[in-house]
Amino acid sequence: MPSPDSLPSPLPYTDTKPVGAADFYTAINATFRFLFRHFGREGLLRYWHDLGTKYHAPVSARWKSGGLHAVAAHWKAFFDAEPGAEVDVIEEDHEVRVCVKTCPAIRHLREQGREIVPFFCQHCHYVSEAMAKPAGLTVRLSGGNGACEQRFVKTGAEDAPQRAEDIATVS
Amino acid sequence: MIGCYDFCGHYEWTFGWMEQLGGHDLVRAYWLEAISQDAQTHAEAEIVPHGIEGMKRYWEHTLAEEAAEHVMTATDKVYRIDMHQCPSKGFLIHNGLEQYRDYCDHCMGWIGPMMEKAGFVVDHEHNHCGQCWWEMRRKNDATPASEPGALSGENDVRLRSDWKSPQTDHYERATDPDDKTAVS
Repeated sequence: MPSPDSLPSPLPYTDTKPVGAADFYTAINATFRFLFRHFGREGLLRYWHDLGTKYHAPVSARWKSGGLHAVAAHWKAFFDAEPGAEVDVIEEDHEVRVCVKTCPAIRHLREQGREIVPFFCQHCHYVSEAMAKPAGLTVRLSGGNGACEQRFVKTGAEDAPQRAEDIATVS
Repeated sequence: MIGCYDFCGHYEWTFGWMEQLGGHDLVRAYWLEAISQDAQTHAEAEIVPHGIEGMKRYWEHTLAEEAAEHVMTATDKVYRIDMHQCPSKGFLIHNGLEQYRDYCDHCMGWIGPMMEKAGFVVDHEHNHCGQCWWEMRRKNDATPASEPGALSGENDVRLRSDWKSPQTDHYERATDPDDKTAVS
């Protein structure tokens, strides 16, 4: 298996255009609202978990083989392809910190005057945690509502559990 | 974070996930309630009150943003799109993603109900290879779909040498994603 460095992109799924279409954020937000309305929080959590473990399984495999360097490369490439994102990705000995100064989704949805589901920022924790666990990592998120910090930490190096109150409600 | 760069990938995955959870009715409800009536309210704001002029404005913006290779043809009676390289289906083909049995149905799934609300019906075919065509006419206009080349000339996607595929789905004066027949 080639190392992540030899792959043409750190992202498993690539497009011919360099950045995505921001209008798709409205569908992501609407999908969360639909699932919550029909299946409640339990259904939404199941969706986020399955999305992380199944659709994003190739990401987990790359993180497992490539370690924190692959995690950092992923998020750098990921946010480079999200229109309007302002993000610093910092790789340290035991963790990768993703410092989101401007969340591209929240920014676009606000610009479009959309009603954002209040729990929007939770998806970043739950999807990422599902992606990270098979790679021997865990995720801690603080902030939200347009800016946050996400830490991808080696399992065992982080004792404190994710606190729900550390993830902001979108207002 | 769930991003917009690979949106078509997780969007298509979501169709399959929903079908497993709640069957075809849930997928239809998702296209209607989440996409047509929520995510695409900006399309409805253009198309329902402004008809063909609204379609021109909406798709000119959105297909440019998605970098679609397409041609739009409009008169005061019909609005036509010839999609030569669908960026959405193209993303799935390029990345080998197929979780749901017919991704292309999602377009009729959200556009159809919106057209019905706007008083239009749709003639449409997609070949599952990233090419399709659409003609929207007012419901009280009984004009059938155009013959290949008659409306959009050499830009008509049906004139492509690679248009014919093992299975092309055909819609006639439709607004419902299930009102289709297969053309072999």
